[in-house]
Amino acid sequence: MRYLRLTIAALLCMSLASGGANAQSADSSESSEYLIKAGFIYNFAQLVQWPPAAFVQPDSPIVIGILGVDPFGELIDRVVQNKKLDGRSLIVKRLKRGASLKECSILFVSSSEAAHLEEVLQSTKGLPILTIGEIPGFAVRGGIINLTLEGNRVRFEVNIEAAKQANLNISSRLLALARIVPQSADGKRSE
Amino acid sequence: MLPIRKQNHGSPTVGRRFLSLTVVGLLLGTGASAQSPQGVPDISHMSIEELMNVEVTSVAKRPQRLADAAAAIFVITQEDIRRSGAASIPEALQMVPGLEVVRIDENKWAIGSRGFNGRFDNKLLVLIDGRSVYTPLFSGVYWNVQDVMLEDVDRIEVIRGPGATLWGANAVDGVINIITKPAQATQGGLVTAEGGTEERTAESVRYGGKLGNSAFYRIYSKYFEWEPSIDATGKAAHDGWNAVRAGFRVDTKSSGPNALTVQGDLYDSDYKETLTIPSLNPPYSSMFANDGDYAGGNLLGRWNHSFSRSSTTLQVYFDRTNVLDNSLFTDHESVYDIDFQHDIHVGESQELVWGMGYRSIQDSNGSSFTVSLQPNHSSLNQFSSFLQDEVSFFDRRLRVTLGSKFEHNDFTGFEFQPNVRVLANIGKNQSVWAATSRAVRTPALTEEGLRLNEAVVPPGAPPFFSPLPVVEAIFGSTQFKSEDLLAYEFGYRVQVAKSVSLDIATFYNNYSNLRSAEPGQPFVEGSPAPTDVVYPFVASNKMGGGTYGVEPFVEWKVLPKWRLLGSYSYLQMDIAKNKNSLDPTADNPDGQSPKHQFFVQSSIDLPKHFEQDLSLRYVDSLPSLNIPSYYSLDFHLGWRPGTHWEFSLVGHDLLNSRHLEFIPEFINTTPTEVQRTVSGRIAWKF
Repeated sequence: MRYLRLTIAALLCMSLASGGANAQSADSSESSEYLIKAGFIYNFAQLVQWPPAAFVQPDSPIVIGILGVDPFGELIDRVVQNKKLDGRSLIVKRLKRGASLKECSILFVSSSEAAHLEEVLQSTKGLPILTIGEIPGFAVRGGIINLTLEGNRVRFEVNIEAAKQANLNISSRLLALARIVPQSADGKRSE
Repeated sequence: MLPIRKQNHGSPTVGRRFLSLTVVGLLLGTGASAQSPQGVPDISHMSIEELMNVEVTSVAKRPQRLADAAAAIFVITQEDIRRSGAASIPEALQMVPGLEVVRIDENKWAIGSRGFNGRFDNKLLVLIDGRSVYTPLFSGVYWNVQDVMLEDVDRIEVIRGPGATLWGANAVDGVINIITKPAQATQGGLVTAEGGTEERTAESVRYGGKLGNSAFYRIYSKYFEWEPSIDATGKAAHDGWNAVRAGFRVDTKSSGPNALTVQGDLYDSDYKETLTIPSLNPPYSSMFANDGDYAGGNLLGRWNHSFSRSSTTLQVYFDRTNVLDNSLFTDHESVYDIDFQHDIHVGESQELVWGMGYRSIQDSNGSSFTVSLQPNHSSLNQFSSFLQDEVSFFDRRLRVTLGSKFEHNDFTGFEFQPNVRVLANIGKNQSVWAATSRAVRTPALTEEGLRLNEAVVPPGAPPFFSPLPVVEAIFGSTQFKSEDLLAYEFGYRVQVAKSVSLDIATFYNNYSNLRSAEPGQPFVEGSPAPTDVVYPFVASNKMGGGTYGVEPFVEWKVLPKWRLLGSYSYLQMDIAKNKNSLDPTADNPDGQSPKHQFFVQSSIDLPKHFEQDLSLRYVDSLPSLNIPSYYSLDFHLGWRPGTHWEFSLVGHDLLNSRHLEFIPEFINTTPTEVQRTVSGRIAWKF
């Protein structure tokens, strides 16, 4: 019975400590890999903490940059449309290679950029940008999250070292679901 | 019906893992569909855990959700298993509404769905990665040999109600589909160790890596040892056991149209029990400590090929089970199975699935005075095919599924098992479904050829006052037919509020030709001098009746880091023997399954990577077994600092120092008591 009391006490503490309810619903009709991936990106935005300095103002938007050929179409815009996270709205911007990435909070690196990956990752180095890719070895080479397909489900790899360098705090809930990959010592693909 | 239930063997077949495809696993709680005005699913309301369960159905581009299944489905995710602190598959199943999961002794379980529970339950089909683990000996499951590396389980799908159209005979009251992760998902190393009160220890090791550029593998091994629990008097019982198991899985990369999986396991388990068996000599019954051994292995290969609008799957497996119960019975069983399945998308609104399968079963056994089976060697052949079509209307708001299984087995010949299922989405947040199905439970080897000596009445004792000992024996019969079920099911799912979803399933099951045990003509045996008189009870099909119930399930995300689950199961059984039945035993098996059960669970993510879960389960009394109702409180505290280590503390059954959960049928094994246990576990990933 001591356990019971302890746990009930802990439970009460917890319920006082957190706030806000979460929505749960989904649908089954027309959908696709990139709709699901857009859902992942929106979830990542909720489960990653940026340093305060990453935003100019408390209500500055979270900018999702899509670098290279956009695989989402308008799907991702619809997913984040009218959504707010901690008072910040979400904006999607399409970017060409060479564009400034500084205003991005999240950068999705399209497969079209695979050949220029080192260059892209070099340009985000030290910036609080959550880099997301779907390129084999993306996380090992210094990207933070890499989306993969296993069977026909979406999975993801996380490079914790890269997240630290970007000063991003990734929730344990996210890490628990991820496949953690090490950063290769020479920055090259080591898989 | 005599005090037991015995069983029959099974003939499920065909790549039922495809249920996984059709039903694919989102947690039940996600409620009904919500569509944005543009017709794009509102995927932003799905949690990351849910998204991970959505299938990218590249053909249809249409992930299917549990909430859209026209059946009573519950999915246990890896997260649920981890957070429940379950150390075995039966423990993980305890959270499922509508299932009855009770422990007989340390190494025996009785698991049933919607009634008829027993050690030899014969109406539940269990598959591990598409391999049926249903034994043809009694049509049930040896739960003590069904184990996997729990950390490698992707999910366990539990369908209450008939699943016969897809899975075949014996998927009468439920299907349990245990699905492990592909090798890609278990790369790297994992070492776990656990220990606790009641001297339970367990260790496991798994390592996953790549085979060249095109395939992944994992190998694992686990060992556990559970020391004896206690008997009704509080003394140490003779029921400890241990098991060692090892296995592998190889999956080719999923890119491209072909996917190949090869997997296999080997295991060996030693168990102890206290057994009471009759004898022809004074004192005519003896209770003794018995030891036995289960060993076996399996090998499975599966090839999937995707075309643009269809996919085919071919699966082949071999499964060997050796049961050496030295004082009772030995059995060697080999199953060879081949299944083919083809899924075709026709136009925009139809999905057609058909398949065929063949299974060969070789059984050889050795007898004792208590249990014998004729013939000593059997060879069985089962052929099956099925066809199912799902048609959708009104922008997929209404879906109708029609199908049937056609099977041929050596006992009863041809069996036909159709179903019709309808699901309708009402507005954004609600859906209703209804189904009618027929399922059969085909006879087991024991129902045809068993002789089980249940008891010996000493000479001169009542009620026979016979000069010779009287053996009360249960006999199988070649006249034994399949048991039949006509099931009517109805379900409703609603997203009550953003954070609350409700799922209700109800059913009415109408059974006929259930097994009874009819008294036969007594005869004298022994030669040259007669030794005893046999009072036979012969397996027959003279019981029937209805069962009905309701199973609501609620999920409430109270706060982002606090989830509450609640479920309740109500079961009413009105089973009675037919008018022409002379079965002298109790009229119906009602009293062996709980009428009321409930389960509540609170899961909280605490700061600093701690997580805490608390669950309370209530199981109603079992009047005909004289088992009182009980509450079971389980506790789990986990800490995952970083990515390499995980520590957990688990308490089971904290409210009771000990309690009895079941009394087994047919074989007189002494049940033992479940004790309060506290255990700790460490896992290291590298």
